[in-house]
Amino acid sequence: MEKLLNEQIIDQIKQTFAQMKEPVQMLFFGSRENCDYCAEARQLLEELAAVDEKLGLSIYDLQDNADVAAQFNVDKAPGIVIAAKDGDQIIDFGIQYSGIPSGHEFGVLINDILLVSGRDSGLSEPVREFLKHLEKPLHLQVFVTPT
Amino acid sequence: MIRAEGVEATEFPDLANQFNVRGVPQTVINAGGGSVVGAVPEQNLIAEIKRAMNQ
Repeated sequence: MEKLLNEQIIDQIKQTFAQMKEPVQMLFFGSRENCDYCAEARQLLEELAAVDEKLGLSIYDLQDNADVAAQFNVDKAPGIVIAAKDGDQIIDFGIQYSGIPSGHEFGVLINDILLVSGRDSGLSEPVREFLKHLEKPLHLQVFVTPT
Repeated sequence: MIRAEGVEATEFPDLANQFNVRGVPQTVINAGGGSVVGAVPEQNLIAEIKRAMNQ
């Protein structure tokens, strides 16, 4: 299959990933049914993971690996979890993307990877304090389009 | 406790319709308990989260 990322883009990503601090693991969830963008999304992540050894990728299927999907709260395909990696341990920060991260959203994925790599949300102190004391789960869904 | 999910609206149109997504970005809080249109400052988002969660 033809590459989705050309050499020029790979070079740019390499430079950006030079800022990565700690390892990051992407968990990809595909599905054989009703998933127009699964193959392309998977290929995109595979090409991306090949750029830097600090960035890993595991491939799952929403149905075949229903237990892993439930563990990471993934209910859509393609679904991508951007998690921290510490040795063999995957630490879920609750950051995920549903759909193919193309166009503008590709840049958002790169930023998410850097954010998780830095292990810092960048939020202000009062906001951190508020979120620390949440009594109920909070689910934010940010609807976006690729352009 | 906190889950932040980017959703590609054109790939999941039923979900976008369910939450009346009219523009992007639009942040839906706890399955429609609250909603913020646009990329708003941190404080504005938190204010809507507080309202939506009654906290």
